[in-house]
Amino acid sequence: MSDAPRAANSATSTGNMIRDSALGLVPETLDAYMDLNRRIWKAGPLRPAELEIARLRNARTVNCVFCKSVRYDLARMDGLDESRVEMIDDDYARSDLSEREKLILAYTDQYLVDPAAIDDALKSSLLELFSVAELIHLSLAVAHFNGFSRCAVALGGMPETLPIMEISLPD
Amino acid sequence: MSWLAGGDDRQSIIQQLPALAEPYGKLYQALWAQPHLPPAVLELCRLRLAQLHGSEVEWRRREVTLAPGEAQALDRWESSELYDENLRACLAFTEVYAMDAQALTDAHADNVKSYYGEAGLVFLVEALGILDGMTRLSLLWQLRVQEEDS
Repeated sequence: MSDAPRAANSATSTGNMIRDSALGLVPETLDAYMDLNRRIWKAGPLRPAELEIARLRNARTVNCVFCKSVRYDLARMDGLDESRVEMIDDDYARSDLSEREKLILAYTDQYLVDPAAIDDALKSSLLELFSVAELIHLSLAVAHFNGFSRCAVALGGMPETLPIMEISLPD
Repeated sequence: MSWLAGGDDRQSIIQQLPALAEPYGKLYQALWAQPHLPPAVLELCRLRLAQLHGSEVEWRRREVTLAPGEAQALDRWESSELYDENLRACLAFTEVYAMDAQALTDAHADNVKSYYGEAGLVFLVEALGILDGMTRLSLLWQLRVQEEDS
């Protein structure tokens, strides 16, 4: 991973971390990107804590230091405290996470590792515990989280570590 | 028919969640109407992702009309005379991005920037995230090639 950023941040200083980042260099997609991000968190059927579980699983797999350090306040308010975040590790199947939460992690892993190889058992379990709308929401959310974290990694300048930071959803 | 939602194409599945289908559609359309990277270059990067993921559905999809033979030569893009150096820079970046974004080097990024500037690099990275995501979802949802595509 590069120590130095490969692109400068936007010249704007709006206080919005996405608008002021390098993504601000591409205003033609910025509003649509921000709108999709907001709606993923606020307009779909999954709860914020469920989305955060998928986001953090992706962050760990991609090894996006920034994404790993962030905690969305709306997910914390929804009950995802650090003791539950710690369960999102490779041993999650034996954790106290709910069956829905474990399936969210299994689906996220399938997306990240080998999407073509999803098996009948996982599909059946997902359809049993989630509505179709919830699964579409989860799918688009994981794709969005993965794209964002890989963007951050690809543009370089990532520190080795960061402290945990609670943030609000950017406007 | 996809196991997920009784449709065989991406659009019909996503449209079952209108609250996200609308912003997603706007973002996807914006990818093809920006000034930073020629649409044909982006389309060839998208098709290379489809090749690398083994997604027949995404391989057969066309967002942009390409010159004859351009898509077919993609698996030998490093040696084919069909491609300019600017396109090779983007394809090299795309290949490494697809395998492991952490493996991208400053040289990969600098090469893209030398043709398309910083905004071009940022746009390419942003677009690859969306295009790679749609390719993975086509595989995860087990979409099949539509008759009219074959």
